Amino acid sequence: MRYRKRKSGIPLAIELPIKGAGLPSETGAWAQKKKKKGFLHELVHNRILFLMLLPTLLFFLVNSYFPMVGVYYAFTQFDFNSGLFDAPFVGLKNFEFLWKSGTLVKLTLNTIGYNLAFILLGNVLAIVCAILLSELRIKWFKKLTQSIMFLPYFVSFVILSVIVYNVFNYDNGFLNTLLAQFGAGPVDVYNKPSAWIFLIILFYLWKNLGYSMVIYLASITGISEEYYEAAKIDGAHIFQRIWYITVPMLKSTFIVLLLFSLGSIMKGQFDLFYQLIGNNGVLYNTTDILDTYVFRSLKVTFDVGMATAAGLYQSLFGFILIMTVNYIIRKINDDYALF
Amino acid sequence: MKKKAGRKTLATLTTTALALSLLAGCGGNNSNSNANKGSAGTEGKTNTAATTEGNAAPAAETGIDTSKKVELQFYMLGDAPKDLPIIQDEINKMAQEDLNATVKFNYTSWTDWDQKYKLLLSSGQAIDLIFTADWTQYQSYAKRGAFLAIDDLLPKAAPELQKFVPESMWEDVKVDGKIYTVPATFKEYVTNGFVYREDLRKKYNLPAPKDLATYEAYMDGIKANEPDMMPISLNSDIGNNLHYIYTELNKMVGALPYGMGVKYETPTTVYSYWGSDEQKEELKTMKRWADKGFIPKNVLNIKDTMQDPITSGKAASMFGDNPNRFNDMKMKISTTHPEWELAYSPFGRTTGYATPVHPIHNGFAIPKSSKNPERALAFYQKLVLDKRYNQLTQYGIEGKNYTVEGGYYKLVGTSQSNGFSREGMNGWAWRNPEFMLFDKGFDGVKAIFDELDKIQKPDLFLGFAEDYSSYQAEKAALEQVEKQYLFPLEAGLVDDVDKGLETFMQKAKQAGLEKIQAEWTKQWNAYTAEKGIK
Repeated sequence: MRYRKRKSGIPLAIELPIKGAGLPSETGAWAQKKKKKGFLHELVHNRILFLMLLPTLLFFLVNSYFPMVGVYYAFTQFDFNSGLFDAPFVGLKNFEFLWKSGTLVKLTLNTIGYNLAFILLGNVLAIVCAILLSELRIKWFKKLTQSIMFLPYFVSFVILSVIVYNVFNYDNGFLNTLLAQFGAGPVDVYNKPSAWIFLIILFYLWKNLGYSMVIYLASITGISEEYYEAAKIDGAHIFQRIWYITVPMLKSTFIVLLLFSLGSIMKGQFDLFYQLIGNNGVLYNTTDILDTYVFRSLKVTFDVGMATAAGLYQSLFGFILIMTVNYIIRKINDDYALF
Repeated sequence: MKKKAGRKTLATLTTTALALSLLAGCGGNNSNSNANKGSAGTEGKTNTAATTEGNAAPAAETGIDTSKKVELQFYMLGDAPKDLPIIQDEINKMAQEDLNATVKFNYTSWTDWDQKYKLLLSSGQAIDLIFTADWTQYQSYAKRGAFLAIDDLLPKAAPELQKFVPESMWEDVKVDGKIYTVPATFKEYVTNGFVYREDLRKKYNLPAPKDLATYEAYMDGIKANEPDMMPISLNSDIGNNLHYIYTELNKMVGALPYGMGVKYETPTTVYSYWGSDEQKEELKTMKRWADKGFIPKNVLNIKDTMQDPITSGKAASMFGDNPNRFNDMKMKISTTHPEWELAYSPFGRTTGYATPVHPIHNGFAIPKSSKNPERALAFYQKLVLDKRYNQLTQYGIEGKNYTVEGGYYKLVGTSQSNGFSREGMNGWAWRNPEFMLFDKGFDGVKAIFDELDKIQKPDLFLGFAEDYSSYQAEKAALEQVEKQYLFPLEAGLVDDVDKGLETFMQKAKQAGLEKIQAEWTKQWNAYTAEKGIK
């Protein structure tokens, strides 16, 4: 456990299975034992277990840690003639383009803002829907609803963008045709930056709600029926059962999902923004996020150094954020912390 | 030792560094602009400068070592034709015998070709031959050392090719005094001209577009008489489809970046187009066009290609396109809607001059990463000068893919059923005017070329290789500002043009416009001085 803590540069999915395996309760004792005997003893003692861990460890080492060497690109001037380490060192010059146009703060805020809305609204709605669905007693209706809610998840962003375009396009979009039917004037949605804050969140939820709902639905299924029976006998009505049993039981799932999504809070939903907004500069004030900005900047002036610099900025920010949040959560309740 | 290891891992590192930067998973959909570039040039007029001596395939190979068998990696943009494996096998049979080499033809597809192209060059992957053009940033890659200088290699590996390409062309493609690409010798025009529906013009008695005023009058007439039709075909690429066409019509030397202004007649006078009265005039014109309903309100979100709306009859005209693509559209319409009529009016009629393509426009280079530069060049010589190689890769197998009737090329079947259409391998760069076969429909393009020949003036400016390493950060920032504040202006979407322009200029200056412009002007002046342009 300690080994992982020191090395985890980027929070990785490896934490999930370990967490899920119910290790946390043992963590304390395990750590103490290790302190006494030392790491080497531990290695010899549990060699079979470590051997089993080795492939996974190698996998992450090769795929996630070794490539981190490439981060050095962020500080060099890319050159076709020289390798990574003999390229000229330029310090922070590659990061300059991020703030040169004076939009870095706005971009960062946009990215965080949208992600917060996605995470909070997404999770809350998913929990609500999961609870409602789990309380349904008609089986075929439950399955049908679940499937219908899940389907948008498979719609690609490219197709979504076409749908959206056909609904909101000024001249012959669905919305304006409908408004004309009722005798109202047309709305120029593609020139209204403020409208897109809601539209983007709306389409994100539409697309992802079904997916996150299934995760919560699975957790709910895992809650023992006995609690509910006992509560029923004590005379708790349905809302009380939900509020005092289901919701608290979902807390750990919620926190794990929250922590995972916080780690990538600086990584916007690139496809969503890029497909819906694309080249429309009119909307950038409210809809531009780091990913789309970086993509557009470097699409023309492709430069390995600058691209790495942008990626590093995002990763570093995400890293700091998840460390902070995890620290706070561990202070409050150790069991819920990721590490 | 250390260096060697570094090189080996370079490819892995670059790829992962990119993955790290999270740019990798982009489902970008820019096929529209790419498709446009695809037909950068199809055919044209035989080059008078081309000598005839290259005709016979020289059997005796030159002083290169062919003892070891190699496989050459050949990279071209766009999509591979269906029958490529067959052609490749045929080519390899010959190449094996002639050069003890086989070749693998690789294609990038048009989707995100620009990113792929950049990755191919920067990841250190071994590539022996790659397509170059002004629109793939040949000059700047060459300047930054992505390609191998072939000056010394040419006499050794491809002496015939060296003789075949005129000296002036070798001179024109030089970057910093070195040759990095083998230019195509075929002469054509890719200058723009108005494309419009002639049948509608006649029907409503409208003026024929030949300058801005008549074009606007034409669109007025279309708007009034055909309210359901778009007067002009546009998509979100405003810069290329409105702005640069407007400036071409105003005799700018080319698609200049950073709001620089240089007129063809006065190439040594560099000024800032952005913020000038001239630009204000452009923006006000676009505003007027938008107000009149020519430019759709959501133009920045349209992802169609420029040509589709014309061929499907949704739009009546195009602000500008080149003769080849005009001809393609015309041919397409002639089969689907024979009652429609498409006409073309080259800008040369207004501006008084037309520039044939610069040799940089189509070429093939050997990247630094190539393991067999000699063999690559020798193979490329075969591709250009050996009739068997050339016609096989341009037109496919005679009798199976095409036939020659009365000196004209004829496709067997349709482009759908045939696995190799004319120039199916996008072989614009290795066209050999002596071996070229033309479609009957191409006579239309030839007529336009003939007209432009009469007013031709050389394109002296494409050879300018910009070195932006000193203002790379500013450049990236400025491109953003341009997209956010200038494109809406150029599409006539901003109500208050003066105020909008003021905001744009202020943001652009903040991003470092002055530094970029000063540096660019310095480089431009150095270029014109070096080439003796006055």
